[in-house]
Amino acid sequence: MGGKCPHRKVKKRRYSHKTSRRTKFELKGDDAVYEELRKPDDEKKPLPVDEDLPGMGQYYCIHCDRYFASVAVRDEHFKTKRHRKRVKQMMGPAPHTQLDADLAAGMGMPDNGPKLMSM
Amino acid sequence: MRLEKCWFCSSTVYPGHGIQFVRNDAKIFRFCRSKCHKNFKMKRNPRKVKWTKAYRRLHGKDMTQDSTFEFERKRNRPERYDRNLAENTLKAIKKIDKVRVEREARHHENRFKGKRSKEQKEAATELKQSIDMIRAPAALQQEPSLILPKKVKVSSQQSEENRMEE
Repeated sequence: MGGKCPHRKVKKRRYSHKTSRRTKFELKGDDAVYEELRKPDDEKKPLPVDEDLPGMGQYYCIHCDRYFASVAVRDEHFKTKRHRKRVKQMMGPAPHTQLDADLAAGMGMPDNGPKLMSM
Repeated sequence: MRLEKCWFCSSTVYPGHGIQFVRNDAKIFRFCRSKCHKNFKMKRNPRKVKWTKAYRRLHGKDMTQDSTFEFERKRNRPERYDRNLAENTLKAIKKIDKVRVEREARHHENRFKGKRSKEQKEAATELKQSIDMIRAPAALQQEPSLILPKKVKVSSQQSEENRMEE
């Protein structure tokens, strides 16, 4: 995961490439993962088969947004410190959002006006 | 035209300032300056960074509940232009701002209250314990200004009483 900083003066050590850093910015944001975890069970879809992903995209960790090659590897991942830390973080309070930022700035809740359609 | 708030530090982002990041799930993140943008890219949590409004709010450094917070809000409905309304609003903004600043100052004063007395106590104990660092204890005993004035008072009272008797 990750990769080195792309701006290196020394040519020998300039081995960072976008593909090697891709995992870093293709990772889901904290709030997206949090929402995914809070979804009710009936909304969750079975994992689609994707031949580009490791293990055909069948072995997935929701918390860390990672695909694994097999069940064994995934279970091994579940035992890691990184994963457990992540689970703990996701059990906590909801991640910061724009609404939180607005409220902290001294704004009230958004005013959407009266509901036009009576349900 | 809308004055948005920065996602990270909650300061106002004026038109032509800052940068906006749209994630691939169409969520918009606005940043007032590169400092906030960089902190976002480092995946820092604004609630844990001390200089953000979110932190200050959460830790009771700033006022949290106040009626003045109800005026400024995102209004997601069109408003027909009314000259009188606009004029009155502009007048009210000044007044509300003044009220809010005053209340904020009061809040800070209340917040510092406990600390000030604590500081004074600490200063008093420090003076008591480490006055020797400035003056030698032997010199202190001879210093007339630092000798306890009790004896002097008693003697003067006695002399006064004596005089009265006389």
